Amino acid sequence: MTEWSIIWEARDAFLNGALNTLILFVLSVLAAFVIGCFSVYLLEGRNWLSTLLRGAINLMRMLPFLVLAYLLYYGLPALGIKPSAWGAGLVALAIYHAAYFAEILRGARLVLPLGQVEAAKAHGFRPGRLYWRIILPQLVIRTRPLLGNQLIYALKDTAFLTIITVQELTAAANSVQATYFIPTEAFVVVIALYWVISICLELALKWASRFGAKRGFEHA
Amino acid sequence: MPEAPAVQIDNLSKSFDGVEVLRDISLTVNKGEVVSVLGSSGSGKSTLLRCINWLEEPDRGSIHIAGQRIGVDAQGKRMNNRDLAAIRAKTGMVFQSFNLWPHLNVLQNVMEAPMQVKKMRKDEARAIAQTLLEKVGMEQKAEAFPYTLSGGQKQRVAIARALAMSPEVILFDEPTSALDPERVGEVLTVMKNLSSEGYTMIVVTHEMEFARAVSDQVVFLEKGLLIEKSAPEKFFTNPETERVRKFLELST
Amino acid sequence: MNGQAWLLLLEGAWTTLWISSIAIALGVVIGLGIALLRMARIPFVEQALVLYVSLARATPLVTLVLFIFLSAPTFGLAMDRNTAAILALTLNTAAFNAEVWRTAFISFSREQKEAALACGMTNGVFFRRIMLPQMITSSLPGLVNEMSFLIKSSPAIAVIGIVDLTRVTNRISAVTYEPLPPILAAALLYMLIIGVLLKVQAIAEKKANRLAM
Repeated sequence: MTEWSIIWEARDAFLNGALNTLILFVLSVLAAFVIGCFSVYLLEGRNWLSTLLRGAINLMRMLPFLVLAYLLYYGLPALGIKPSAWGAGLVALAIYHAAYFAEILRGARLVLPLGQVEAAKAHGFRPGRLYWRIILPQLVIRTRPLLGNQLIYALKDTAFLTIITVQELTAAANSVQATYFIPTEAFVVVIALYWVISICLELALKWASRFGAKRGFEHA
Repeated sequence: MPEAPAVQIDNLSKSFDGVEVLRDISLTVNKGEVVSVLGSSGSGKSTLLRCINWLEEPDRGSIHIAGQRIGVDAQGKRMNNRDLAAIRAKTGMVFQSFNLWPHLNVLQNVMEAPMQVKKMRKDEARAIAQTLLEKVGMEQKAEAFPYTLSGGQKQRVAIARALAMSPEVILFDEPTSALDPERVGEVLTVMKNLSSEGYTMIVVTHEMEFARAVSDQVVFLEKGLLIEKSAPEKFFTNPETERVRKFLELST
Repeated sequence: MNGQAWLLLLEGAWTTLWISSIAIALGVVIGLGIALLRMARIPFVEQALVLYVSLARATPLVTLVLFIFLSAPTFGLAMDRNTAAILALTLNTAAFNAEVWRTAFISFSREQKEAALACGMTNGVFFRRIMLPQMITSSLPGLVNEMSFLIKSSPAIAVIGIVDLTRVTNRISAVTYEPLPPILAAALLYMLIIGVLLKVQAIAEKKANRLAM
């Protein structure tokens, strides 16, 4: 089992890659979630901004993630901005998944019963407070499974960044296999790591769903 | 040799999870007869109907459709699916919730079984289906899809679908219970017409007027037991049991 | 961008399309097979399929493509880039399609089956004539949705050197030194392809909703 001992020797490379993947993932989905929530708030209004946002969200839904990363990493220098691969990747992840989060929340907003919004208005809630205190929490609870799926997609999209030279988990496997010629073992290790991370995510979501179930929401 | 009855049920018993829903039931339905099955909910009347075409398997007893035993073969073993399907083809069933096939239009719903089960030619099946749709007053909607129909219309199509196999007996499982009150009449009218045309029918129903006007026999089930079986006039005016008397009082 | 550049772009788009199309076709059929096998609940096979679906859903396509392409030779399999790409895309999309099909199976109404049996249909006729046509209609929106996801993840195959619609932009800008125009043009072509799929999905959803009524 010399291959596996080489893998063990190279554990630092894998750990650094995994750490980088996790940092990119956590930072980008946090940013994406916040941007997504704000976008849906802005979509409550009917003005040029909401029209623009709608268009931007639809645009992202028709674009592969890697193309957005390319645009930021290779395209921005043409405009005089030269981002690092890591920075371009992080921003691309955040923008791209913000659009998907917004789309998911918007879908739930469209079918939210009108009555309780009216009830809140009748209690004197102003639009901002109404959105953040009454509407948004329900949207998040109702769409939990979809949001969870999107988190897994975001995790997987971090691997694309290896193509624009970000040193994340898949890049780590690739460099280890190129140095020692042990592709099977190197990739088995990283696939297992991705798997473990996504299982942890799903467990966390299941735990979070109890929160929804306690409040009698379906799918919880 | 006299002709076999359309349906003969002997000593039928059935339980779900240790609860007996049918207890030793025997009933003979002759060709051309209409039998109404009454009883409060949970009395086992739907289960009885569903045993007749083996959608539920009884624990004991036997059922013959036009002289042929259903569900159990000559060796006393469980019948294979092909033979079971062949006997089921001799019965038609109309469900409470219509159960039309939503991917087929009205005409196709009626043609499907004759073509697939009886291997009937398409033009022949179409001709039969059109005649039957006229009989139930749905010929105008032949091309419509089920989602566009009202409950009463769906049920009339379901009746045409059951008739299309020229069954020995048609089983009606509370055919008007899922309908809006103003839609009940159109379905009952179709069923009355069928009875006067000589179709053999077993009808589980809550419609007392219908049972009284159309039936040749009325049977009453209570906790899985068949406690009364008589002609409609006698059943509704002078029942034998106290239980039926009470039931009639409560439902009028 | 000149005509030469556009020609290269279209060539890249063609590569993306034909590789994706083969994977989609295989993935839809294999997904159905997996769903049927899972409904049969055969011991070990069931667990193996659950494991496969779970792994395939968690593995990034970039990682999977690299894994297949690089480790095939160590198992003595000579695999060219295109085959490795198709295999990876298929393994990925089949897992998602299997879930779509399975949902359609599980939610199919028992009452329609009873209506079919009561008419004298055998289980085989019921499946072929009543269940399968409806499953196709009700699964189609999910399957088409998965097709657009597949196209959106297909740039992963660039990682093993296939010149697809994304990778080709590098080729063009290596000559023109202007990366932005080809990337924008590629984005436009992707939007065209996925826009069509989204449209198809909307139509499919309308049809599927009718079944549920």
